[in-house]
Amino acid sequence: MKDAGHPEAGPGPTPAGRALGRLRRNRLVRSVFRVGWPRTRQARLRAMLSSLVLHVHPTRVRVHVLRPSYTLGLGLVSFFLFLILTVTGLALMLYYVPHPAAAYRSMKDLEYAVTFGMFLRNSHRWAAHGMVAVVFLHMCRVFFTGSYKPPRELNWVVGVLLLLLTLALSFTGYLLPWDQLAFWAITVGTAIVAYFPVLGPQVRYLLLGGHEIGQAALLRFYVLHCLILPLAMAFLVALHFWRVRKDGGLSAPSRRLHRRVLAWPHLVFRELLVLLLVLVVVNAAALLFDAPLEEIADPTRTPNPAKAPWYFLGLQELVGYGAIFGGVVVPTALVLALLMLPYVDTHPRGVGVWFAPERRVANAVFAVVALAAVAVTIIGTFFRGPNWAWVWPW
Amino acid sequence: MTDPARHPSATPRGTGAGRRRFVAAVGTTGLVAGALGLLGALARSVVPDVLYEAPRRFPVGRPGDFPPDSVTLVSERRLFVFNTPEGFYAISAVCSHLGCNVNHEVGKGFACPCHGSTFEEDGRVRKGPAAWPLPRFSMSLSRRGELIVDTSRTVGPDFRLKA
Repeated sequence: MKDAGHPEAGPGPTPAGRALGRLRRNRLVRSVFRVGWPRTRQARLRAMLSSLVLHVHPTRVRVHVLRPSYTLGLGLVSFFLFLILTVTGLALMLYYVPHPAAAYRSMKDLEYAVTFGMFLRNSHRWAAHGMVAVVFLHMCRVFFTGSYKPPRELNWVVGVLLLLLTLALSFTGYLLPWDQLAFWAITVGTAIVAYFPVLGPQVRYLLLGGHEIGQAALLRFYVLHCLILPLAMAFLVALHFWRVRKDGGLSAPSRRLHRRVLAWPHLVFRELLVLLLVLVVVNAAALLFDAPLEEIADPTRTPNPAKAPWYFLGLQELVGYGAIFGGVVVPTALVLALLMLPYVDTHPRGVGVWFAPERRVANAVFAVVALAAVAVTIIGTFFRGPNWAWVWPW
Repeated sequence: MTDPARHPSATPRGTGAGRRRFVAAVGTTGLVAGALGLLGALARSVVPDVLYEAPRRFPVGRPGDFPPDSVTLVSERRLFVFNTPEGFYAISAVCSHLGCNVNHEVGKGFACPCHGSTFEEDGRVRKGPAAWPLPRFSMSLSRRGELIVDTSRTVGPDFRLKA
């Protein structure tokens, strides 16, 4: 995209410059990059309108929402992680065989017999974990800045669905390596599903394609993970972005609504900077830390302790106090409260700033719930040992 | 549209509004019925009719394979076979809480590694979070003299198979 006209590239005296100039005048190149490298104000406005990728953006954007301290870039980071996951996931699919007899072997192949296979798997794993955390933090940001208030109620609901989809994607991906970690985490996770009144056992039966975690379950998780859920995700992400535009851009206090700057370069280059940071962090994590792979799944031998994926360990901790309470009542209440929130709290004050004084009570309640969720997750992750007994992590 | 009489679809006998309504009704019905039919077929198709799973009724061995007064873990079937003076019975090794395999220690009962549930020697819950006892499965003797366990049929705590 940039090659269409580099800032320094003019029809200069050097052969390279002349070649670049010819390239920029080339019919094919001009048919793809309609406005070239936008230098004038008018070209910068047109650039945002004439490109499929860029037209997601407005032509001008509020100074308020460009400040990193306002959004922390969390929504953007989630989106870039989703892109990384899509690309690395497609590459992994070329080697992965969704059958109990072959799945674990294909993981071993990825680790030892595929060039950069381990790197791809690590990237996929850490980006997935990162995405769960970042989407959660993004939700916290949106809450603490009051950004779910009218007219953004629907987009909050879409965001909650995206959080649930992120968890579902991560959970279905968790089974695929077909090692002990995968098998028992999914055993516990799908057993929680069965506790839901009336429909629970049927949903579990549908999810597993039978009564036990075997070939049918693996294939179902694979198709959900690689096709159904990512397609749903892509659709809801598009809806999420579209609603941001239709709701008048990211939230801002009314007195700061009017100061705007051009999206090119101010927004576009900040986004590229965020992409750079995400890539650096994911690549560094993938180079430094290897994704775990335990022994092959063995239904006859439960590891002690058997733990769900970390983002469900809070749930598993609560399930330890009582399966109905932890597995059904608490998660259902939380999801319903999140979905209903923007239709209950419609008071239009305190939008667009962090921790607005008018929202002291709402922010306090949300902070307590969010911290409680983090706390039980930490307890489940670090403070639970064999037989789920309390242990000190140090 | 402003003058119904001059609308292109107007016939000599009228404005054609009734016919257009009829076509719209037929079209809408067809669209909804077609979509619902497709979705219904799709929804039904994901409920499997044939399961390629291990049979729920299977032999676990001959009575002589289980020493008197013993508890034997049949790990590939995820159950314990008890041989007592009153007869045989089978208790599930799958925790009634969330499906992990429980461990058995003679005289101490069962303990689950996942969430710390413990069960008495007879399968009753000693300490939660498990809410239900470990199920007991129906047992029978085949004509060839093998002990048969049927995990699709649970039995009460008094069940004993004399063999």
